[in-house]
Amino acid sequence: MNESKWTWRSVSVISIAATLILMAGFIYAVNDIINPVPDAPLTSLPKQTPAFKDGAEDELRIVALGDSLAKGTGDNTGNGFVKRAVTTLSSEGRTVELMGNMGINGQTTAVLQNRINEEGVQYALRQANVILLSIGGNDLFRGSEIAQNGGGTKGQAEAPAPAGETAGPASTPGTGSGAESTGDEELSAEALLAALPEASARLGSILERIAEINPQAHIYYIGLYNPFGDIPDLLVPGNQAVTSWNNAAMDIINRHGNMTLVPTFDLFNRHLDKYLSSDHFHPNGDGYQRMSERIVQAVR
Amino acid sequence: MINLLPLIRNECLKIIKKKRFYVILLILLILVPMFTYAQMKVAERSQNKFNSDWRLEVQQQITDNQNSLGSDRIPEEWKAYRRIFVQQLQYYLDHDVNPNEPSGVTFTREFLDNSVSLFIPLLIMAVASDLVSGERTTGTIKMLLTRPVKRWKVLFSKMTALLMFVSLIVLSTFLVSYLVSGLFFGYKGFNVPIFTGFQINGDSVDMTAVHAVPQWKYMLMQGGLIWFVSVVVALLAFMVSVLVRSTAASIVVMMAALIAGTILTNMASAWTTAKYLFMVNLGLTGYLAGTPAPIEGMTLSFSLAVLAVWGAVAVIISFAVFTKRDILN
Repeated sequence: MNESKWTWRSVSVISIAATLILMAGFIYAVNDIINPVPDAPLTSLPKQTPAFKDGAEDELRIVALGDSLAKGTGDNTGNGFVKRAVTTLSSEGRTVELMGNMGINGQTTAVLQNRINEEGVQYALRQANVILLSIGGNDLFRGSEIAQNGGGTKGQAEAPAPAGETAGPASTPGTGSGAESTGDEELSAEALLAALPEASARLGSILERIAEINPQAHIYYIGLYNPFGDIPDLLVPGNQAVTSWNNAAMDIINRHGNMTLVPTFDLFNRHLDKYLSSDHFHPNGDGYQRMSERIVQAVR
Repeated sequence: MINLLPLIRNECLKIIKKKRFYVILLILLILVPMFTYAQMKVAERSQNKFNSDWRLEVQQQITDNQNSLGSDRIPEEWKAYRRIFVQQLQYYLDHDVNPNEPSGVTFTREFLDNSVSLFIPLLIMAVASDLVSGERTTGTIKMLLTRPVKRWKVLFSKMTALLMFVSLIVLSTFLVSYLVSGLFFGYKGFNVPIFTGFQINGDSVDMTAVHAVPQWKYMLMQGGLIWFVSVVVALLAFMVSVLVRSTAASIVVMMAALIAGTILTNMASAWTTAKYLFMVNLGLTGYLAGTPAPIEGMTLSFSLAVLAVWGAVAVIISFAVFTKRDILN
C-alpha cells in the first residue's frame, strides 16, 4: 500500500507539472504562429568568407557550375564529367576534393547570372580553386524556341523568383528530344544565332563575376558541341551556331589569365551515335568520359 | 458523495499495474536508439562527402531540389513543396545558420516532427484503447459499476487518468529521445536558432514574419502542439474503447483511422473535403516548421478547430453512451 501511495504521488505530481508545461507551450505556439512577431533583420549576415586557406598547395578543390552537362544528365552512372574527372585526377595521385556540383538541368545564362549572386553559391565558389563551368547549350538550342514563343516565357527566364530558383522556362531535363522536335521546324542557323549576342554577353559577365568572387581559382569553361549533327538539315546550321558560340566564348576567355576553354566540339562531331545518350542531346557515359579526359588534361 | 480523487488515483494505479506505461517506455528505448543510429550514419556520410562544411551541403541540397523542379515526372504538389523547401534552406544559408546542426536537441526536434502524426498517437493508443473495453473483456466492469458511484464519475476518473498519462507519454518521448540521441550527438544545442513564421502562399513563402527562436523554445512550442494532438487522439481512442466491446477491435479501429490519415495526407490533396477528418490534421508541428499543409486551405486555426470539435464530440458520445448503456455480458 505504501508503495502505491508513493507511485500515485510521483505520477500525479509529474503529470500535472508536465501538463502545465505542455499547455503553456501550446498557448505560446498558437500565439506565435497566429501572430508572429518578425525579427529585426538579423545582424549576423554572413561575412565574406575568405578563400580557402588551409590545405596543401597542390590540393584541387573542384566546384562545378552550370547546366545539365555539369550535372551529368544522360550518364547512366550519374557521374558526369565532374565526378569522372575527379576520379581520374585522384587516381593520378592528386588530392582532389569535390566541393559541390551546382549543375541544374535546363539552366540558361540568364538564370545562372542571378544564381551566382546567391550567398550559398558564392560560398562554394570561394572554397574552390578549380571551377568547372558548363553553360550556354540551353541558350543556344532553346533560345531560338523561346524567341519564337514570344516574350512571355522569356520574361520568366529573366526575372526569376526572389530566391532565384525558378529553373528557367520549361527547363525540363532529358527533353532534348522535345527541343529537337520543335527545332525540326524552325531551327536554322539564323534562329540559333539570334540568341547568341545577348547570351554570350551574359556568359562574359558570368565569367567575370566568378573571377571576381574567387580571383584565386582557375575557371575551366566547357565548350559546346553540336548535338544535332545527326540530323542532316541541322548539321550545318548547328555547326555554325556552335562554332560562333565557342568563338565568342574563346574571345572572352582569352582576355583573362585564369580561364581556359576546354573544347568538346571535335569529341562529338561525327560520333554522335556513339557518345550521345538516348535523348539525342546529352552525352552518354562514354561521352562524358571523353569530356573528362579533356578536362583532366587541362587541369593537370 | 464520493470524492473523485480516490477514483482517479485508483485508475492511475490500474494503468501502472497493467504495465502499459512500461511497454511504452520500452518501445521508446528500443526504437529511439535505432533511429538515432540511422541518423548518425546519414550524418557521418554527408560529413565525409562535404568536408564537414554544412554550407556546401545545404547548397548541394538546394541544387538537388532545384534539379527535380525541372522534371516533368514530378507532380505539381511535390514541386510546390520543394520550392518552399528551397526557399527556406536559402533563408538559413543567407543568415548563416545551420538548419541541421547535429546535436541531441536537433535530433529530438526532428524526431518529434516526424512522429507527431503516427508514432506518438500509437503510443497513446496503447494506454487509451483498453481503458473501458479492457474492463469489459475481463468482466471487471461489473464490479466497478456495482459500487455506489455514479457512472459518469467512473468514466470521468478514467478520462482524467488517461489525460495524465498523455502528458507523461509526451514528456517521456521528449526525454528518451533527448537522452538517447545525446549519447551519440552530444547534449548541447538548446540555444541554436531555429527559424519559424514562414507563411506559405501557394508555392512561395512569405518571409516577412520569419523570426528566430532558440531551439529550446521551439521544442516547448512543439511539445505543446504535440500534446494537443495527443489529447485529441486519446479522447477519440477512449470513445472507441467505450463503444467497442473488445480491446483488439478498439485498437484496430483507431489504427485504421490513423494509418488512413497518413495515406490521405500523402495523396489526397485533390480531395479537399478530407481536411475535415481529424487524422489529416494531426501534423500540427508542420505549421511551426513551415512545411506546407497537406491540403490547401488548412491553417493552424482550422486544424485546431477541427481537432477540438472531434475531441469534444468524442467526449460527449463517450459519456452519453457509457451512462445509458446496459452492461450485459
